[in-house]
Amino acid sequence: MAEKAILYDATKCTACRGCQVACKQWNENDEFIPTIQNGVNSTNRGSYENPIDLSPQTWLKMRFTEVEPSGGKLRWLFTRQACMHCTDAGCVRVCPNGSLYHHELGFVAYNKDTCTGCGYCIDACPFSVPRYTRNIITGFAKMDKCTFCTSQGLDRIAEGIEPACVKTCPPKALRYGNRNDLVAEAKSRVQVLKLKGYSGANLYGENELGGLHVMYILEDSPDVYGLPVDPQISGLTAAWQNVVQPVGWAAGGLMVAVLGLNWLVARRAGVNKETK
Amino acid sequence: MTINKVEKYRKPIRILHWTHAFSFVILFLTGLVLFIPALGFLAEDGWTRFAHRIVAVIFVVAPVIYSILDPSALVRGLKQAFSWDKDDLSWVKAAPRYYFTGNEKGMPPQGAMNTGQKAWWLIVIIFGVMFAITGMMMWKGTASASISQWLVLIHDISLIVTGTMFLLHIYLVIFHPKMKGSWDAMASGKISVEYAKAHHGKWYNEITKGKGKGS
Amino acid sequence: MTNHWNDIANSDCVMAIGSNPAENHPAAFGHITIAQDRGAKLISIDPRFTRTSAKADVYAPLRSGTDIAFINGMIKYVLDDIDNNPDNYNMTYITEYTNAPYLVNPDYKGPADLEGLFSGYAGVSNEAENSKRKYNKSTWQYQKDATGVPIRDMTLQDPNCVFQLMKKHVARYTPEKVNAVCGTPVATFLEVCHTFAATGQKGKSGTILYAMGTTQHTYGTQNIRSYCLLQLLLANIGIAGGGINAMRGESNVQGSTDHCLLFHILPGYLKVPVDADATLADYLKRITPTSSDPLSLNWWKNTNKYVVSLLKAWYGDNATKDNDFGLHYLPKMESGKDYSHISLFEAMNDGIIKGLMCWGQNPAVGGPNSNQERAAMDKLDWMVVTDLWKTETAEFWKRPDADTANINTEVFLLPAKNSWEKEGSVTNSSRWMQWRYKASDGPGEAEDDLWMTDQLAKRLMKLYAEEGGPSAESITKMDWNYGAGHPDVHAVAKEINGYDLTTGKLMNSFANLTADGSTSSGNWLYCNSYVEPEAEPDAPIPGNRSSRRSLEDGPFNIGLYSRWAWCWPVNRRIIYNRAAVDLDGNPWDEEHPVVKWNPAAGTSGAWQGDVIDGGGLPMNQGGHYPFIMKSDGHSSLFGAGMAEGPLPEHYEPWETPVDNAMSNQTSNPAFKIWHPNEHGTSDKYPIVCSTYRVCEQWQGGQMTRNMPWVIEAQPEAFVEMSEELAAEKNIANGEKVIVESARGKVNVVALVTKRYKPFQMNGKSVHQVGVVWHWGYTGLSTGDSANLLTPHVGDANTMIPEYKAFLVDVKKV
Repeated sequence: MAEKAILYDATKCTACRGCQVACKQWNENDEFIPTIQNGVNSTNRGSYENPIDLSPQTWLKMRFTEVEPSGGKLRWLFTRQACMHCTDAGCVRVCPNGSLYHHELGFVAYNKDTCTGCGYCIDACPFSVPRYTRNIITGFAKMDKCTFCTSQGLDRIAEGIEPACVKTCPPKALRYGNRNDLVAEAKSRVQVLKLKGYSGANLYGENELGGLHVMYILEDSPDVYGLPVDPQISGLTAAWQNVVQPVGWAAGGLMVAVLGLNWLVARRAGVNKETK
Repeated sequence: MTINKVEKYRKPIRILHWTHAFSFVILFLTGLVLFIPALGFLAEDGWTRFAHRIVAVIFVVAPVIYSILDPSALVRGLKQAFSWDKDDLSWVKAAPRYYFTGNEKGMPPQGAMNTGQKAWWLIVIIFGVMFAITGMMMWKGTASASISQWLVLIHDISLIVTGTMFLLHIYLVIFHPKMKGSWDAMASGKISVEYAKAHHGKWYNEITKGKGKGS
Repeated sequence: MTNHWNDIANSDCVMAIGSNPAENHPAAFGHITIAQDRGAKLISIDPRFTRTSAKADVYAPLRSGTDIAFINGMIKYVLDDIDNNPDNYNMTYITEYTNAPYLVNPDYKGPADLEGLFSGYAGVSNEAENSKRKYNKSTWQYQKDATGVPIRDMTLQDPNCVFQLMKKHVARYTPEKVNAVCGTPVATFLEVCHTFAATGQKGKSGTILYAMGTTQHTYGTQNIRSYCLLQLLLANIGIAGGGINAMRGESNVQGSTDHCLLFHILPGYLKVPVDADATLADYLKRITPTSSDPLSLNWWKNTNKYVVSLLKAWYGDNATKDNDFGLHYLPKMESGKDYSHISLFEAMNDGIIKGLMCWGQNPAVGGPNSNQERAAMDKLDWMVVTDLWKTETAEFWKRPDADTANINTEVFLLPAKNSWEKEGSVTNSSRWMQWRYKASDGPGEAEDDLWMTDQLAKRLMKLYAEEGGPSAESITKMDWNYGAGHPDVHAVAKEINGYDLTTGKLMNSFANLTADGSTSSGNWLYCNSYVEPEAEPDAPIPGNRSSRRSLEDGPFNIGLYSRWAWCWPVNRRIIYNRAAVDLDGNPWDEEHPVVKWNPAAGTSGAWQGDVIDGGGLPMNQGGHYPFIMKSDGHSSLFGAGMAEGPLPEHYEPWETPVDNAMSNQTSNPAFKIWHPNEHGTSDKYPIVCSTYRVCEQWQGGQMTRNMPWVIEAQPEAFVEMSEELAAEKNIANGEKVIVESARGKVNVVALVTKRYKPFQMNGKSVHQVGVVWHWGYTGLSTGDSANLLTPHVGDANTMIPEYKAFLVDVKKV
């Protein structure tokens, strides 16, 4: 099946945050607001950006960045912060029991029922996306992140409709479709932006980490938006997965083999039984 | 017929051993479910982590309590783990032949712990501390992503080392024909004089010197 | 809106001034995005760098309340450019379609001669006496020939012609002056001029999107007038992608205005009768414009038909020729008296008004100087609040500093249904009447407004019939029949459309309404919206044109969507569309023709495209002038109807930190000053402040401050300020600060941002801050209302409060 993707055009986004609210509404995620006796006590921290971070209840949030190079024009940049649905996904790599997996349409889905709450995915994500709330005593936890609207019972993709964030976007800064089509579309949009004078315009996510399933059209370098310029699976993730785990299995296996051999050899050699 | 026995391990240390052994087994198994994908389903919903945490407390607290109650034992034990001499080298050279064929040639007399046991004891100390430190930090859960990954890595390396050595330990005690007496050492605390002479000659000489024959 | 939402996509240049569509009209912003995709430029003019500015090609800062200086500067740029490059402009449009060639009374004098005032002012410079703060407009009139037709100089050279008067008027608004008044850097200002003036070319279009940033000033109407002047000079009215487009703040503000939300109008913008209107004839004579020019269609000459049809709709058989069709059943205004929001609350405060019905409005949060308005409610005998939530108004006695012991107001709360819990129509900014269906039942005892109105009317009719009372006939003579149970919303919609009373059939057009009492129409503008089923058989509700949902683009593929819903008047999507063609009826813009005269069609030619304004032939074939709603047929560059002058002149807001750089007259000389003692001065309050909304919250906040998801996104009231001001005041981002005006103070979070910069005006630096006004003391998220700060003064023409520019000081808590 053709891979699907979301294309986010930061140059069209007005940061109305319809997506942020629609995500919560569709996925039945509670607001992340400490409640006081008579209602809601929430805080403005001197920014339009709120809540302050992603959370198990906030899978998508908009980031606001004011950029003003000395002598240059002031810009107010808006970015989407949510799962990028990598092809080479650190989270899928480290998930101990396959709860995180690649959906047949390419993006990273997960089965919350089988999630062990180990949190390896949280540390392995190059974009710092997955979140959980862990019970400090028992350690019980369930990871949450953008599901590409495939949560059980709320699966829009299976019904053939676009994710909730895409549906709600008024300036059509979010698009959903076949990944190949979106890549082509995005490339021509980047050309248009370059002609308009945005020499740094680029498509982010075409090839990063084997190709992201949430791609961004940016008018400037990704780091200006707070995105890693060249996202990589961390060396530790790779070491853990490619070295430590095989070594562990090898060491365990080798030991079992040696002991088995010993058992056979020692018996056959007629090692005297210890007298008591 | 009366069999002469000598006391190898006193009761407190046997309790500590079994407490630790039991908790290690649980920790090993509940940790292994995250290490072996095929067992991952057992970790669902995090009950294994809950068990892991409860037992981890025992695993860490038991030796601490023991050390507090008997600080001299702690000093003695540490000294033991770090006292190595040339007999140990000879043991390492001769041991494979001995354990496979029973040929005692070149096996030097051993103290209360033979070289192998001493190595195991050292591993238990070093990696036990590693487990405890990395485990507590993971429990706290406030480390940055890369630190967290380091913690998991160290915890896992500790698992690999202790796990494989643990297999060896179990095998020798339970299955190896020459080592049956060591079970008694930890089970009842007493071993036969004969076994003591054969396996812990140096120690036997030490405990019997000036005391006459043990009975 | 002269045009409509979808039409923005046709524009070559979109200028957002006094508006922040990305913030407050996020869905509509999609149309701007489409225009930008097509290569259109977006200009954002705003005191602060907004979400709209973030998407704009050109951003120009201007100090709050200085639109007129800015636009007059642009007009000067255009007029100078016309002298040098007339080919870049549509001179035919200017001379033939506007009143530029009209000759004005030679005694007329403007601010250039009279230090900021126009001829005929009753008072002196900076007059304090309210009774003298007005004009005698006799010198503002046109010179007329013997038949009463205005005299025109088609060469535009006569020194008394509007074109020359305007030129003289704006000559003072040089780029340097604009900088001195607005604080806009000269280079940025010229970039805006250059970019927008490019739409003056034939075939190019530019649109102005405005909202409350334009209107909520003591000279808000003149702000809009200045946009009109600019757009007319650039020939941008009537064409696709052009126009002056007021973006409404609520889904049905357009509809409620059409149906006489405001005190001075009846449905369809008919003027309210006053006490001096002794007879229907007197009333009609007073309100019906006349023209002696046979080429002027003067559509308002039909006023009598619309008035009589309205009275027939309201009073039915009780409206007869003998009783002036029931005109005298209507309440009449006292001549010269004002019944706008501010005046009503002043009257409550003075104990004149004893009862208040607050229907879907929350003045305790939304009203200016809300301390005073809340206190006015203390003096009421009774108050009825109809709303979805217990608003601050419904619980006005729970405000933080209320003296509850001395409040005796009896309050009734009527829980209302939301728009999707009832059937009916809304009219959006595009003037589209769109039918909506009921999606779900309301909670608890909530009822819809129609049911409440119906119950109220029936019970009042019964009470007045049984017990009598003052003006009882106003109520008892009503023709009120929408069914016995739940009122039939279709019956109401049909009554608004109107009937031919002789046949009992629904009217098909207001062109057929009569003044003899044989037709009815509850709102002439809506006549044609709900017709006989056979006249509109394909609509989902046959006959109900507002229920149509065709996605066909419509004539000429310019996005008219003529069969989506229905649009007043008579489904005309772009009004003044006769100005979109030349004298022969050929479109100025061949790419985006709105209408087009096709000589080959029919027997003698016909109009194609959008519903043509007024019908008839092209002008060169003897057709009438294009602006049919103007009595003279030409759009007004010079507007004698305005309270403070026929041409827009820059004045400072009531409270200002600077002297007027244009003249000695500081503020608008013609608005009413209610409380001179509440006038803040710049020695105590040196900072300009504006109030505004954010995307995440809505209006007085009842609907959003009870919605946790939304509260989370925008949790607290804040004041935005520049880094420079924060440094001066030693304020850290995110800390609580006090903003204080001469009326009150609020405790809000400081949001320190690069997006505000001190205005550098000819060497003088002025700070501006902005406070969001959504918060109040009830609901899930509470906070201080910004309107505790705002003054109780309003526009000289419309009385809309001056929410957008006043003085404050900011300090650490």
